[in-house]
Amino acid sequence: MSDLPSIEMQDVRVVHPRNPGVTLIEEVGWVVEPGEFWVVAGLQGSGKTVLLETAAGLTPQGGGSVRLFGEEVQGGQRDVEEVSEVRRRLGLVFDGNGRLFPSLNVFENIALPWCYHRNASLADAAEALGPLLEYLQLDRLLDQRPGRLGRAWARRVALGRALATGPELLLLDNPLSGLDMAHIRWWRTFLSDASRGHAALGGRPLTLVAASEELRPLLLPGRRFALAHNGRWRLLGSTEDVLSARGDEGVRELLGDND
Amino acid sequence: MESITTTFSRSEVRRVGARFAPALIDALETLTRLAAFTLITLGTAWTRFGQNSRVIRPRIVDEIHRSGVRLLPIVGFLGAALGVVFVGQTIDLMKQVGASGFTGTLIVTVFIRELAPLTAGLVVLARVGTATVIELGTARALGEVEALEALGIDPIHYLVLPRVVGFTISVICLTVYLMLLTLGCGYLFAFARGLKATPGEFFGEVAGALSWLDFPLLAMKTGGFGAIIGLVICYHGLARPLTLEEVGEATTRTVAQCVVACLLLDAAFILLYLIA
Repeated sequence: MSDLPSIEMQDVRVVHPRNPGVTLIEEVGWVVEPGEFWVVAGLQGSGKTVLLETAAGLTPQGGGSVRLFGEEVQGGQRDVEEVSEVRRRLGLVFDGNGRLFPSLNVFENIALPWCYHRNASLADAAEALGPLLEYLQLDRLLDQRPGRLGRAWARRVALGRALATGPELLLLDNPLSGLDMAHIRWWRTFLSDASRGHAALGGRPLTLVAASEELRPLLLPGRRFALAHNGRWRLLGSTEDVLSARGDEGVRELLGDND
Repeated sequence: MESITTTFSRSEVRRVGARFAPALIDALETLTRLAAFTLITLGTAWTRFGQNSRVIRPRIVDEIHRSGVRLLPIVGFLGAALGVVFVGQTIDLMKQVGASGFTGTLIVTVFIRELAPLTAGLVVLARVGTATVIELGTARALGEVEALEALGIDPIHYLVLPRVVGFTISVICLTVYLMLLTLGCGYLFAFARGLKATPGEFFGEVAGALSWLDFPLLAMKTGGFGAIIGLVICYHGLARPLTLEEVGEATTRTVAQCVVACLLLDAAFILLYLIA
């Protein structure tokens, strides 16, 4: 793991991917250091998903600069190979059903990036990814098509796909939304394991960024918080800072204190 | 009187121009983007063809199976029908008008050079191409392409290249299959109607009407049809951000553009034949 920031955004204007004239979040200044756990909170439609996609270099920013591991991933004369090299160091778990590939089964979905980047067969992947699949409790679903999975399991498959290449940075879009309590408990354990480092996840601590519509389930010590509210970006700080900012309208809404 | 006519003509010209100019600009824009997409795909094919072969090769094989092997029954049926309708009746008719000596030339010029490649291409377009645009367009609309990019996988390499290569190989093979079946069925039909020639004499006559130039040109033409179909399909499915509502429209646009592009390529090859 290098000492360079995992994500560095300076004066970034997060814009709508289909309509770059529409600004979703203004002046994002954000540095994610290796090993940190950030929670980006915001209501639905506040631009969190696009922020994560912009940070991952998937959606061009309207202005400012975005660096991943010290490298620019948008604009300029970047080679496809170079961009791919940088992207392999991050994993992105999309919201909802995780944007799985419907023509592939669960195992093929998870193994695809591993096989592609190592030019390896599915048999090799089965051996190498065994501990990860066991950790994710996906063993009995490997032959299923994504369309037959419920949201909770589909999201876990998407997590497996993102973790398969052994990323240093994991971006999670609304990981806890729409899950039952058992799955929420599993995800909270996973987030702690990933943050501390776990043998099945490569052994080293992952840098984590989780976007969320609720603050409470993720409000634990050692985490850092940022807020996207009404098109503005605010760094809230630690868990204590969030709790002391309860009077703030945006924080209150995300803590559910308005009720 | 003259000035009225001139005024009328100018306003007519303006009206027609105003109507067709946006369509013309749209067509030119599409053509430019399609050319750029083709160049990117060719660049990817050139630089990365052998890379990640354990993932890409099975995908090419899958595409050949989907757009080639699975179409053998329908192409076989078309071959049998064309054999009876075109080849069998041509043999019959030429015999009746005393021009049997030109049968081979007619079959080569009309069927082998024109009808067979176009038929194979259009069958692939209708049976697999439309489904592929819907599949790719839906994947684009649901963000699966961004998911590939997030995994560091180049969508051109993973989604486009196997399809273009698969379609190209499939159209070439299906054309040869269609030709053989059509000629075979045509001969059987004519034989049943009293043709005296042996199979060797009949096929020899057709082969005699072929020139050495036919082989490379037919390979290029049929391969060109497959590549064009693959590229236009992937362009409309992937190159632009789509919503689910736009997928249907993209599909009809793809079919129309594939047909026009194949016919233009066909016309270019007719010119090439005339020059040669």
